Amino acid sequence: MIAGAEPINNSALRPPHSERGFVGWVRANLFGTWYNSLLTVASVIVIGAILLFGIRWVISDADWTVIATLGGQMIIGQYNTELACPSQNCFWRPQASLLLVTILLGMAWGVAGGGLTKRIAIGISVALAAFALLPYSFERMGMDVRLLLAANIPAVGLGWAIARYTPLGTGRGIALSAIAVFLVTLILVHGVPNVPGLEPVPVRHWGGLMLNLLLAVAGIVISLPVGIVLAMGRRSRLPVVKLLCVVFIEVFRGVPLITLLFMSQVLVPLAFPENFPQNSLFRAGVVITLFSAAYMAENVRGGLQALHPGQAEAARALGLPGWQTMLFISLPQAIRNVIPAIVGQFISLFKDTTLVYVIGMLEVVAISRAYIQGNTEYLASAKELFLFLGLVFWVFTYGMSFVSRRVEKHLGIGVR
Amino acid sequence: MVVLVAWFVANVGNAIQDRDIPHGFSFLDREYQTPIGQHFLPYESSDTFLYAFIVGATNTLIVSVVGVVLATALGTFIGISRLSTNWLASKAALVYIEFFRNVPLLIQLFFWFYIVLALPPVRDGYVVADRLYLNNAGLSIPWPSVRSADAALAWIGLATVAVVAGIAVHRWLVRREARTGSSPDPLLIGVMTTFFIGAVGWLVVGAASGGAPFTTSLPAPQGAFDRISGGFTMSGGLMALMAGLVMYTASFIAEIVRAGIQSVSRGQTEAARALGLSSTHTLRQVTFPQAMRLIVPPLISQYLNLTKNSSLAGAIGYSDLTNVAKTMTQTAPAISIFLMIMLAYLALSLTYSLIGNLYNRHISFGRR
Repeated sequence: MIAGAEPINNSALRPPHSERGFVGWVRANLFGTWYNSLLTVASVIVIGAILLFGIRWVISDADWTVIATLGGQMIIGQYNTELACPSQNCFWRPQASLLLVTILLGMAWGVAGGGLTKRIAIGISVALAAFALLPYSFERMGMDVRLLLAANIPAVGLGWAIARYTPLGTGRGIALSAIAVFLVTLILVHGVPNVPGLEPVPVRHWGGLMLNLLLAVAGIVISLPVGIVLAMGRRSRLPVVKLLCVVFIEVFRGVPLITLLFMSQVLVPLAFPENFPQNSLFRAGVVITLFSAAYMAENVRGGLQALHPGQAEAARALGLPGWQTMLFISLPQAIRNVIPAIVGQFISLFKDTTLVYVIGMLEVVAISRAYIQGNTEYLASAKELFLFLGLVFWVFTYGMSFVSRRVEKHLGIGVR
Repeated sequence: MVVLVAWFVANVGNAIQDRDIPHGFSFLDREYQTPIGQHFLPYESSDTFLYAFIVGATNTLIVSVVGVVLATALGTFIGISRLSTNWLASKAALVYIEFFRNVPLLIQLFFWFYIVLALPPVRDGYVVADRLYLNNAGLSIPWPSVRSADAALAWIGLATVAVVAGIAVHRWLVRREARTGSSPDPLLIGVMTTFFIGAVGWLVVGAASGGAPFTTSLPAPQGAFDRISGGFTMSGGLMALMAGLVMYTASFIAEIVRAGIQSVSRGQTEAARALGLSSTHTLRQVTFPQAMRLIVPPLISQYLNLTKNSSLAGAIGYSDLTNVAKTMTQTAPAISIFLMIMLAYLALSLTYSLIGNLYNRHISFGRR
């Protein structure tokens, strides 16, 4: 060592106080340049004004009683009225369906074994059970209703146990259970003739958020396979099939859904024989599903087009027949790559279920509107009601896009 | 599937014959005999079905065009805010996008509609400088009114010439700038040319016909009920429809603009900055032209969505194409009307696609 040389202080100096911590963050992100500062000041004024005005309105001026008064009608519409369900209590049927869904969630948690799925399953069941504590009188919200809501917590546990200790605890088991749950839900809600306690409820009395969710789930489940078939048809080498698919897709994409729905009441009955059993809900479901399938087809087609042709060529070279190439090589990769677009289409399908109001179905928005128009004393608080409905839908749609983002991350889409 | 389609078509054919379903287009010449709420073309109840259908289509077209312009402006602004280095602006844009995109349009329309309904009645309405009247009948604003049709047409002709001349001057100056490097401001001079020719034309036409080609019609309360007359009145339904459509579509456009700008690789911006371009120039000359290639196709599909979504207008009392046609089916064959609606929306979509594709070809790379 050279004499006299001082040991070098290796530790670098910390950045000056103005560049780190909260002050540094504010300087970097809010007041970096003069126009940034100007933008910050302008934003603060605008956001502050909105918040000030909004919070004051929410706390003092807004009248939220209309939401409490509507209460269960928003969830099931006219389903449990004397008209729909004479001299019996039908509320337990949607509630029992809900319990089945919670059991499914529990099974998903059991299979995934913790992490996000666990938090979602427990969070949803606790939130549902919390509805049992709503401060309604017992005449409006009976003990049976509250107990069935509270049963969501044991249900999620039951689902977890089923997944852990029975052979149903696999991905395939859950998929089969989900189909079974959907069918059982339909039977429960629709009812079975001549079975006491399960008297059929005419579909025109179905309503509220229940109707939106039923339409959305049925639409989502059916429109994806239909969309895939249409996408394959559009790429087909058979001119007739291709032409039919192109015409179908372009017509359904070119016309507003509301027009299609409204025409479904007029045209769809004509397309079936005269005595074919059908009802307006069935027709609405068919139209919403086909509409969504047309968009889905374009998403899937995009995925198929983006696929490198080498994939299919390699599969053919290995001796796979054409349909196996499509089913096991092309489609899985294509769909995996367009998951964001597909989930976006699911979300828009869910939002579109509000449009069945045109054919007189009382889904959640329609029944709220009808209530406002029937009880003019609530006309002034219509804004509050629709704001609330907006938030309800937001929770569902944002939840869907959140889960989709997690799935994409899990599959590593966009990462090479 | 072919069999299924054939079966459906055959069923429809049978149904029309066996069940005596009305069809055909002979109703188009009959008098419609039904009032239409707000309309932009002159309309009387004694007009024919065909004309009423055109009135409805015009209502949709106007909402669509104005909505597209406003939604593009708002959406671009929010999309750029989303990319701002300013934390507050970026997060505010994020909240806007996530909220408006995820809530069904119908709920948003009802929300705005009931806010408009809650406005005070005409006598207690808001008045801004005796020019703007806002009340539960709608928003009344000053509007140009034509004094003599010839003078107005003459000036519109001159104004078109002025715009063409302005664009020509701008392009010539841009080319000269590229060739010689001397740079007067092409945009400013182009705009000034347009304004100069327009103003001179205004004066010349005014002198020739004895008065300005257009005058301003001011809204003012009139009569025993203080109804607003004069100017242009936007009905409450139209206001709510515009607010809802524009804010909803803007949230989608913002995401498209953000994705488009983010897709331009950082190297491009950095290279432009290294060459000494200012940040405004970088955005205008380097980032934006490249981003546009990715933005335009999905943007067109949003324009189509906006047009189709405007069919929700019926729920809040604005007579758009779908609403008018829906009312028509009560007195005319539904099958024919459905065909007409399909053709009308198809024509609208094709027009947008055509304009969009022409523009897209203009801005995209040559084939590589």
